[in-house]
Amino acid sequence: MPDSNAQLLQLAIATPLVAALFIALGLPKRFSTKLAGVAFAVPALIALWLWREFPAGAGADYAFRSDCDTGLAAFGISLKLGLNGISLPLFVLAGIVGLAAGLYALRSGAERLKLYLLLLLVMHGGLLGVFASVDIFFFYFFHELALIPTFIMIGIWGGRDRNYAAMKLTIYLTAGAMLSLLGLIALYVKSGANTFDLVALREALAADPLRVTTQKYIFGLLLFGFGILVSLWPLHTWAPLGYGAAPSSAAMLHAGVLKKFGLYGLIQIALPLLPAGAAEWAWPLAVLAGVGNVLVVGFITLAQRDLKQMLGYSSVMHMGYCFLGIASLSAVGAGGVVLLMVAHGLSVALLFLLATSIHHRTHTFDLADMGGLARQAPVLAALFVAATMASIGLPGFANFWGELTVFVALWQFSPGITAVAVAGVVISAVYGLRAAARVFFGPPSEQFQRVAAQHPPADIGWGERLPALILLAALLFLGLWPRAVTDGVNRALGRPVAEMVRR
Amino acid sequence: MSPVQTATLILLLPLLSAALIALCLRRQGALASWISTGAAGAIAGLSLSLIFGGARDFPASWEWLSLGGFTVSLGFKFDDLAALMLFVVSFVGFLIHLFSLGYMRDDAAKARFFGGLSIFMFSMLGIVLADNLFMIFIFWELVGFSSWLLINHYHEKQSAADASKKAFIVNRVGDFGFLLGIIWCQHTFGTTSLDALAAQAGAGAAWSHGIPLLLFCGAVGKSAQMPLQVWLPDAMEGPTPVSALIHAATMVAAGIYMLCRIEFLMVAEALHVILWIGTVTALYAALCAIVQRDIKKVLAYSTLSQLGYMVAAFGLGSLTVRHDIGGTVHEMAFAAGVGAAMFHLTTHAFFKALMFLGSGSVIHGCHHEQDIFRMGGLAKKMPVTFATFTIGVAAIIGMPGLAGFFSKDSILYLAMEKNTPVFALLALTTVLTSFYMVRMWKIVFFGQTRSDHAAHAHESGWVMTLPLVVLAILSVAGGWPGVFGRLAGAVAALVPQAHGSAHTTILLVSLAVMIVGGGAAWFFYPAAGTDALEQKARGAFAGLAWLKESFDRLYDYYVAKVQQRLAMLLNFLEQIFLAGFIIRGLAGFVGLVGHSARALYTGSVHTYVYWFLIGAAVLWAFAAGFL
Repeated sequence: MPDSNAQLLQLAIATPLVAALFIALGLPKRFSTKLAGVAFAVPALIALWLWREFPAGAGADYAFRSDCDTGLAAFGISLKLGLNGISLPLFVLAGIVGLAAGLYALRSGAERLKLYLLLLLVMHGGLLGVFASVDIFFFYFFHELALIPTFIMIGIWGGRDRNYAAMKLTIYLTAGAMLSLLGLIALYVKSGANTFDLVALREALAADPLRVTTQKYIFGLLLFGFGILVSLWPLHTWAPLGYGAAPSSAAMLHAGVLKKFGLYGLIQIALPLLPAGAAEWAWPLAVLAGVGNVLVVGFITLAQRDLKQMLGYSSVMHMGYCFLGIASLSAVGAGGVVLLMVAHGLSVALLFLLATSIHHRTHTFDLADMGGLARQAPVLAALFVAATMASIGLPGFANFWGELTVFVALWQFSPGITAVAVAGVVISAVYGLRAAARVFFGPPSEQFQRVAAQHPPADIGWGERLPALILLAALLFLGLWPRAVTDGVNRALGRPVAEMVRR
Repeated sequence: MSPVQTATLILLLPLLSAALIALCLRRQGALASWISTGAAGAIAGLSLSLIFGGARDFPASWEWLSLGGFTVSLGFKFDDLAALMLFVVSFVGFLIHLFSLGYMRDDAAKARFFGGLSIFMFSMLGIVLADNLFMIFIFWELVGFSSWLLINHYHEKQSAADASKKAFIVNRVGDFGFLLGIIWCQHTFGTTSLDALAAQAGAGAAWSHGIPLLLFCGAVGKSAQMPLQVWLPDAMEGPTPVSALIHAATMVAAGIYMLCRIEFLMVAEALHVILWIGTVTALYAALCAIVQRDIKKVLAYSTLSQLGYMVAAFGLGSLTVRHDIGGTVHEMAFAAGVGAAMFHLTTHAFFKALMFLGSGSVIHGCHHEQDIFRMGGLAKKMPVTFATFTIGVAAIIGMPGLAGFFSKDSILYLAMEKNTPVFALLALTTVLTSFYMVRMWKIVFFGQTRSDHAAHAHESGWVMTLPLVVLAILSVAGGWPGVFGRLAGAVAALVPQAHGSAHTTILLVSLAVMIVGGGAAWFFYPAAGTDALEQKARGAFAGLAWLKESFDRLYDYYVAKVQQRLAMLLNFLEQIFLAGFIIRGLAGFVGLVGHSARALYTGSVHTYVYWFLIGAAVLWAFAAGFL
C-alpha cells in the first residue's frame, strides 16, 4: 500500500497531464489559463514538500515508491515511481523550472495560448515523469512525451528559421532517442533479468556483471544516444539553432530540464550498470568530446552576435563540464555533475526568460543593435547580470559548486585536461560580461535609440519578475547551501561509484 | 559574545546590509547609505574588540560541501596576521564609507553604490578570516564581482563599462592559475586548510614548485602585477571612494595578504619568480606614473608600483640573523619577507587611501575636474585637503618619522641584505616615486588656478575632511614601532630591522633618494598648465607614454586579431561543415522527415490528441495481449 507521499508523487505527474487533457478536450480559454496556472504550481509545491520529506537515511534506495501494473508485466514493465538522492534534485528542478516557464507563458500573450499551454503542460508532465521513473521503459516513455511538444512548439511559435530549426531538432533528437532506446533494450535483453526495473537491474548486474565487450558496446550506444540529446560536441549543432528559434517557455523547459535527461541517464543508469564500459569509453572519446564542448564551442560562443544564439552556444559549452565530470569516473565528478545539472538548468532557464524580456524592449536579439538598456530597465539589468554571473560560475550561485567539484574530480584524471576545463571559466567570463555590457551598459546604439523612441521601454513588471525571482532564489539557495543536494547525492552514489573507481 | 560569534557577526553584517539594500531600499538612497555606513561602523567596532580582545586561533569550522572524499569547509583562522589585515580593512573601510556619504550625496544611484560597498566589505572580510584556500578563492571571486559592480557605477559611460569588464576578465585570468594551484594543493596534501597545510609542510612533505607559482597567479591578477597590471589604471573609472577602498587600500593588497598566508608553501624557485615580477612591476609603474595627467591615474600607477614593492619584499624571503649568546653564535631564520610586505601593506593602506580620498576631495571641490594641469593653487582654497594630502605625499616618499619611511626602509634593508640588483632597482623606484609624487603635489596645489573649476574650488564638509584627518594621523604614526607593534603582534616581530652600520647606510640611501627625486621634480616642473617634460624632453616623454600604451596595445591586438579571429574561424567552420555540409548531405532524408513532421504539427491539436490516444491504446492493447 503506497504511503501518502508516494501518492503525492503520482499526483505531481498526473496534474499537468490531466490539465492538458481537459484543455485539449475543449475547456474555454479563461478556465484553461486558471487551470494551467494551478497545474504548473501543484508539482512545484509537491516537489518541494517531497524534498523536505525525503528520509535522511535513504541511500541509493528509492523513497516514495509506488507500483502500478499497466498490463505490461509480462515484459517486466510497470509504472514504478520513486525518487532517490540523484533524481530528487532533478525532480525539484523540473518542478521549479516548470512553474517559472508556466508563469511566464501565462503572461506571454502568445497567439493560440490554449494550445501553447496545453503543449507546455504535456512537456511538464513528461519531465516530471522522467525523473520519477524507476522503470527504464517509462523513463524513456516520459522523455518522448516531453520531447514531441518541443518540436511542435518550435514549428508553430518559433522565431526565425523555425521550419529548418524544427526539422533539424527533430532529426537529431529522434536519432539520439533511437540510439539510446537501442542501448536500453540491449541492456534489458543482455541482463537476462527480464525486467526494466532499475533497482532490480542493478541487483542482477551487481551479482552477475555483463562481459566487458558487451558493456562496451551498450555503453557506446548510450553515450552517443544520450550524448546527442545533451549536445555532445560535435553532435551539438541542433541546440543553438533550436533554442534560437524556440519560444521562450519551451526553450526554458528544454534547455533547463529536458536536456538533462541524457546526463541523468548516464549517471543513473549507464555508470552504475556498465562501469567497465564507461571505463573503456571515458578516455579518449568522452573526454575529448567534452573538451570540444568547452574549448571549441566556447570560442564559437565568443563569435556570436545574436543574444539567443549566444545563450544557446553557452549552454552547449557548459554541457562539456558535465561530460568531463562523468568521464572522470569518480563520485566527486558524478556528484558535481548532478549539482551542475540543477544549477545549469536554473540559470539557463533564467537567461532564456530574460532574453525574451530583453527582446520585448529592444525588438531585436542582435547585440550590436542594443546598448544602455540599464537606464530604462534597472531591475531587468540586475536580474540579467545575476543570471550571467551564475552561469559563469561566480561563487554564491549554485553553478560554482558544480564546476568546482568537476574540476577537482578531473585533476585526478588528468591535470592537463583540468587546465583546459578551467580555461573555459575565463572564456565564459568574456562572452557573458560582453553580452551583459552590450545589452545594458554604455550609450545606446542608434538602432536602439530609434526603437526606444517609438516604444519607450519599461522595467520588467511582476509577471516577468516573479518567475525570474523564483529561479534566482533557487540558484542562490543552492549556492549558499549546496548540501541540500550533495547530502542525498553522496548516499545515492556511495556504493556503485566506489566499486567503479576500483576498476 | 564569544570570539567566534563576533567574527561571524563581522562577516555577516555587511551581507545583511547588502541584502537589505538590494531587496528593499533600491529607491531609498539616503537610508541605504546610512545603513551601509552604520554596518561598516559596527564592523570597525567589533573588529577592534576582536583584535584587542586577545583571542587568537579559536577553532571555528563548518562543513559546507562534501562529495565523496572531497570537502569544502567554511571556517575562521584568526591569528595576528589576520588581525592586522582585519584592522586595515574594517578601519579604512569605515572611514571610506563615511567619506562616501559626502562624496556620493547627489548621486542618482546611491543605493546601488552603497549596496556594492557592503558586498565588497563582506567579500573582503571573508578573505581576511578564511581558514582554507577554497574559502579564500570563493571570496576572492566575490571581491572581483564587487569590484566589477563598483567600477561599472557610471555604467552609461562606455569607458566605465569597458573598464569593469576588463578588470573582471583579467582577474579571472589570474584566478585560472589560482584555482588550478588550489586543486593541485588539494590533491597533493589532501586538504587546503591553512593550519593543516602548515603542519604538513613543516613535517617535511614534498610538493611541486608548480603549486606556489600557480597560487601566485591569483596574486598577479588581484594585486595587478605584470603582466596582468593593465586593469588597475582603467579601474579608475569607478567613483573615487571605490578607488581608495578597493583599488588602493584593501582588495589589491589581498594578493600580498594571500601570499603571506601561504608563506610556508614557498620554495626558493618560486620566490625568485615572485621577487622579479614584483621588482619589475614596481619600476615599470613608477615610470608610467611620470607622464600621467589625470590625478587618479598618477595615484593608480603609484599603487601599482607600491604593490610591486610589497610583492618584491615578499619575494626576498627569509632573513638569517646571528645572535651571539654566551659566546656561541645562534643563527635564526625568520620570514622577514612577510614582515616587510605586511608592514608596507599597512602603511600604504593608510597613506594611499588618504591620497585617494584627498584626490576625491579635490575632484569634488573642482566639480569633477581630474586633469592636474587644469587645477593649480588649491593649497589656499582647500587647506585641510592640502595639509592632509601633503602628509600623504611625505609618507609615500619616505620622509623620516612618517609611516612610509619605516616600512620602506625595512624593505630596502632586506633587499640590501639579500639581493643587490633588486636593491638597486628598488632604490631607483624610490627616486621615481618621490619624483612623480612631488610633481603632482606641486602642480595641483601651487601656482595660479588654471581653470574656472579650480578657481571656484571649495573645501568639503566634515564627513569628507574627518576621514582625511584620521588617515593623516595614521599615515604619520602607523609606522612607529609602538603603534605598529601593538597592531601587528607577532607580524611586527618579523619586520627586518637594520642595526649598526647597515642602519646608517639605509638611512643615508633613503634620504638621498627622497631628496634627489623630490628635489628634481620640484625644480624641474613649474606649477603651470603644461607638462614640462613633454616640452623639454619630447623623446623621453614619448618613450614613457609608449611604455604605458604598449601593454594595452598588445592585449587589444590579442583580443581583436587572435582571439576574435579564431572564434570567427571556428564559427565559420561550424556553420559550413557541421551545420551545412554534413547535414545537407543527408538532404533526402531531411526532406522526408521534414515533410512528415510538418504534416503532424500543422494539423489541428485535436487531431493530434486523438492520434496520440488511439496510438497509445493500440500499443497498450497489443502489449497486454488483447490483440
